[in-house]
Amino acid sequence: MMIFKKAMPRRTFLRGLGTALALPLLDGMVPAFARAADTAAKPAGRLSIVYLPNGIMMDKWTPATEGAGFQMTPILEPLAPFRDRLLVLSGLAHNSGRALQGENTGDHARAGATYLSGVHPRKTEGADTQAGISMDQIVAKELGKHTQLASLELCLDTPELLGQCEAGYTCAYMNTICWRTPTTPMPMEDRPRAVFERLFGDSDSTDPAVRLRRIKRDRSILDSVTAKAARLRGSLGPSDQAKLTEYLDAIRDVERRIQTAEEQSSRELPTLERPAGVPATFTEHAKLMFDLQVLAYQCDLTRVITFMLGREFGGRTYREIGIPDGHHSLTHHQYKQDKIDKVIQINIYHAKHFAYFLEKLRSTPDGDGSLLDHMVILYGGSLSDGNSHLHDNLPILLVGGGAGQIKGGRHIRYPKDTPMPNLLLTMLDMFRVPMESLGDSTGKLDLLSV
Amino acid sequence: MGTDHNCRRCPFLIPLPGVAGLKLRWRQREVYPRLRTILGWIGIALAGVGYLQAANQELSGPAPHASSYRAVLNRYCFTCHNENLKTAGLVLDKLNVENLSADAPVWEKVIRKLRAGAMPPAGMPRPDKATYDSFATYLETTLDRAAAAKPNPGRPAVHRLNRAEYANAIHDLLAVDANAIDIPSLLPTDDSGYGFDNNGDVLTVSPMLMEGYLSASRKISRLAIGDRGARPVFETYEVPRFVMQEDRMSEDLPLGSRGGIAVRHHFPLDAEYVLRIRLQRNARTYILGLERPHQLDVRLDGERIKVFTVGGERSDKPSAERYSSFDQGDYEHYLMTADANLEVRFAAKAGTRLVGVTFPTATSEPEGVFQPPVMDYAYARDYGHPDMEPAVGSVTIGGPYDARGAGETLSRRKILVCSPTGARDEETCAKRILSPLARRAYRRPVTERDIQDLLNLYKSARSEGDFEEGIQAALQRILVDPEFLFRIERDPAPPRGTAPGAAYRISDLELASRLSFFLWSSIPDDQLLDLAERGKLKNPAVLEEQARRMLADPRSKALVSNFAGQWLYLRNVQKVWPNPDVFPYFDASLREAFQQETELFFESMLRENRSVLDLLSADHTFVNERLARHYQIPNIYGNHFRRVTVSDENRKGLLGQASILTVTSYATRTAPTIRGRWLLENILGTPPPPPPPNVPSLDVKKGEGGIPLTMRQQMEQHRANPACASCHKVMDPLGFALENFDATGKWRTTDGGNPIDASGATPDGIQFQGPAELRKLLLTHPDQFVTTVTEKLLTYALGRGVEYSDAPAVRGILREAAAGNYRWSALLVGIVKSTPFQMRRSREP
Repeated sequence: MMIFKKAMPRRTFLRGLGTALALPLLDGMVPAFARAADTAAKPAGRLSIVYLPNGIMMDKWTPATEGAGFQMTPILEPLAPFRDRLLVLSGLAHNSGRALQGENTGDHARAGATYLSGVHPRKTEGADTQAGISMDQIVAKELGKHTQLASLELCLDTPELLGQCEAGYTCAYMNTICWRTPTTPMPMEDRPRAVFERLFGDSDSTDPAVRLRRIKRDRSILDSVTAKAARLRGSLGPSDQAKLTEYLDAIRDVERRIQTAEEQSSRELPTLERPAGVPATFTEHAKLMFDLQVLAYQCDLTRVITFMLGREFGGRTYREIGIPDGHHSLTHHQYKQDKIDKVIQINIYHAKHFAYFLEKLRSTPDGDGSLLDHMVILYGGSLSDGNSHLHDNLPILLVGGGAGQIKGGRHIRYPKDTPMPNLLLTMLDMFRVPMESLGDSTGKLDLLSV
Repeated sequence: MGTDHNCRRCPFLIPLPGVAGLKLRWRQREVYPRLRTILGWIGIALAGVGYLQAANQELSGPAPHASSYRAVLNRYCFTCHNENLKTAGLVLDKLNVENLSADAPVWEKVIRKLRAGAMPPAGMPRPDKATYDSFATYLETTLDRAAAAKPNPGRPAVHRLNRAEYANAIHDLLAVDANAIDIPSLLPTDDSGYGFDNNGDVLTVSPMLMEGYLSASRKISRLAIGDRGARPVFETYEVPRFVMQEDRMSEDLPLGSRGGIAVRHHFPLDAEYVLRIRLQRNARTYILGLERPHQLDVRLDGERIKVFTVGGERSDKPSAERYSSFDQGDYEHYLMTADANLEVRFAAKAGTRLVGVTFPTATSEPEGVFQPPVMDYAYARDYGHPDMEPAVGSVTIGGPYDARGAGETLSRRKILVCSPTGARDEETCAKRILSPLARRAYRRPVTERDIQDLLNLYKSARSEGDFEEGIQAALQRILVDPEFLFRIERDPAPPRGTAPGAAYRISDLELASRLSFFLWSSIPDDQLLDLAERGKLKNPAVLEEQARRMLADPRSKALVSNFAGQWLYLRNVQKVWPNPDVFPYFDASLREAFQQETELFFESMLRENRSVLDLLSADHTFVNERLARHYQIPNIYGNHFRRVTVSDENRKGLLGQASILTVTSYATRTAPTIRGRWLLENILGTPPPPPPPNVPSLDVKKGEGGIPLTMRQQMEQHRANPACASCHKVMDPLGFALENFDATGKWRTTDGGNPIDASGATPDGIQFQGPAELRKLLLTHPDQFVTTVTEKLLTYALGRGVEYSDAPAVRGILREAAAGNYRWSALLVGIVKSTPFQMRRSREP
């Protein structure tokens, strides 16, 4: 599907993060490897969230010891080459994901909705869904000012194919983990072609001449339309003008993105063909989506990407590794060993693909290092024990350099039920988008850099 | 009407003053209960006094007079609705009965309650019917007269086209096929207001939507003109896993075929294309049905282009649930890859064509034990029943390859009305092409400036490409123009100008747009636009003739998909999924059938110009074999829908249709409350207020000895708590009457082993049992039903919520429609002729 014809050329470093330096340096944010010349720490450049549904076999995930000398466990083994760039965090919990009085189902819906928000979603099957704004969207609002797309939300499972959702809860809670506002879920894209088109337009290739022509055409159309709309607006009453103002504002927003795209259009992009369809196997699909993500980061088309490797409650089978049973039903293993073994295989399989992603990030240059150096990646899920639907002791990895803010190679265990939103708050700090609180957070996590 | 909850309040919630201790509204906070009691007694005393005076008045004759009505109010209404008590927030005693229009919103609420017979509440004294009715009529007549003298037609906002309207407009403008491009999927979902997604206020423009418009306009314009540089693209059509492929799947597949899929695929250019077939697999990813050979027939526009044979190559092997790769590896491999070579390359001309892939039915059966069709789809699909037939999983069509030209598609023929003979007449030809497009897109005569705008873009694209690329760029420009995307209505400019806040008649062009978006959800056609440009729509006869013409046109099907689809919650049918453990017979074919039935039914109401009341009482419907089996209607065969007479009294009308019954249920069980609420909201027009926060879900209790309780018995919990009972006493009985229909609309007589008790009673004591009697009861209030329908139609037609000021118009429409027993055309034409539809209020300074 993807044909790379050229080697990846060097990129210039990100522009436009100057305002971050004005903020005070927070405790625990002093990078361990700060160079003498740096008087202030650089903020992290890119955020990636890779989500695992349906829980993990925790006894094969959690290392036995804490601190720096921990042993890689079977599930984390594929990530061994990146050991010094990752932190295993144990003990975090989403207290907001637990059932309240009267909610006897919905653990998967709550898991998905709380993962990045820490807000208990409203139990409803109707249009009055309500969750909480998710952390990636907060970062996107800030970082998106400098890129063509504020964020990308990707997944591998289309909602329709996977049957019903949990009784009492609308499917919106499981189809996505990103919420731009408490009532606006972000749709997740699973088709590689559509992702390609969002990034590079619907031209069939990344040929710069083609892109530039399209950009110029769009520009002139929008200019022509803006002139007319401004004229129209003048002829209307004040209440009617509001709609046209909205229209003009939207156009301005699009023009800004087009301008960014135009400025970046001179960059050479690796030539690749537009993917034609959705690959049939998990491995092809996942790798293609990871490739597109690396490309998006590399070309600075966006700096915030959330990727669901599977949907909560999803019943995908992994025939290619000999598992014809649905994922979700396997995770309700009722302590049968053969089912448990299969779940472990799936967990390892996911980790292998994540390692593929990390390898590409590590080998893609970015400024004075690699993409991986400047990224903060959250790899994990919102349920630990899929059999009992537990929302505590979550499987969480923090990966990447975070522009020096993450000192990896350690397993840190937090006190029981430490709110996961505390980690999210800490991550927001890394991007210099500080918040007082998020969901049910109680403060920030320490021990991250020390 | 309006958003005032008090108006919607369940009528049986008013505390009876002076009888302290009876049920109080769950919302009201009683701060001074004793004071209320005292005032209550005083109120009764006053009422008693009023009684004597009123009695005198009645004896003096029935001539209506404002002061006599004040006496009626005094006696029956002021007891509660006075300045001190402010019951339900309604204060009547300070209002001037001589000048009703000063307080029109309040009086409209009163009229509503009176016509529903809801006030005074049960148990309180009420005037005799003659006085009651004449009072209500007096109120109505006075307000109607005031409205006629000084109309308030409302002021709809600048109105963005929603997705459906955008797609229809593109289709009508450019003859671009829905199969060529799924336009709604290019744009984000629209929000709804007042139950409809064509509400001008909530249709906002976000940057994401703007990007969507930009990219959609590019795709659409390229598709319409034909993109000779198009690269090969693969489009996959999936057959949903749980669609039963036991029979002829559609009218588009040959007779004598079984299963498979027929799709209308758009071939962008005259070129060669590739078609690949993938068969259905079970959960082990083994292809189903390979035990015997089967043929696969591939057709393009009905002409066979290929026959494949698949299966039966290893007929010595038994079928099994799984194979180990140790000793049966190659058979397992065969089961997983037998469809790898189902690929054919063929030539096709540009345009939308029918592609069919299906299995010709065998004319003889092999000998063996006869197996009945497997209905438990979960087992069948996941494990693969022996003797199961193979089924088509997906068809992928890729191309174009070796393109020879853009061909002659419908859209090219429509748009390219001329082709330039040389460089000199290119610009003239471009103008000839673009002017009519701009006129229809902007829905008004084009100006020189419009043409200049478009020619600028044409020229810049022409300089980099050829003539058709220039046209394409100009077309793209049209599709993002604000006058295409928005319906803009303007106050008349001086010298015609109007006083601020006054009502004026909208222009003919604006009226043409309102008309076409109401009846067709699309742009006006040439005939309508011509008449509007010449100012002929002002003529009421012409307007009515156009409205009737448009109703008869097939495009009025938009009313079924967009109006009925939202009013009756039909759009939810696609989203429900009854629990397969409880309803193993439910599958995607059945779900499709549910939706088709109600759409065809509603359409028949429109096309045959039936009475609105026939929605409830019609004795016909539309079924195919699958649905007929579900309804236990015998002797219906075949996948296509046909009209049948419904002889079962319980099944007649909307309330017997599975679509409605399923969207008002949960995945595992029925929900009488939801059904009751649906009826209150959509049929009777008196929706209950929302439940209080933190209502726990129903405790599934067991009865004595562990026997499960029926739904009805479980709902007794609603009655036990008086705070809940006030609303549930109204909702639940309506739903109980439908309890014989399970959560998929199937008829049943027991629930969990207990016989169904489908009886109910209205709060004022009328008993009914079962769907047939419920229907009769609903039809004893025909006014309520038709008022509700008219209000919903008006909301949809105006694209704004209906307010108290529209009530006179609604009454006017109903009065005229009553003569013909409320036929659909009378209502629809009535709306077109009404004040809110033809007029607009000018802006306040």
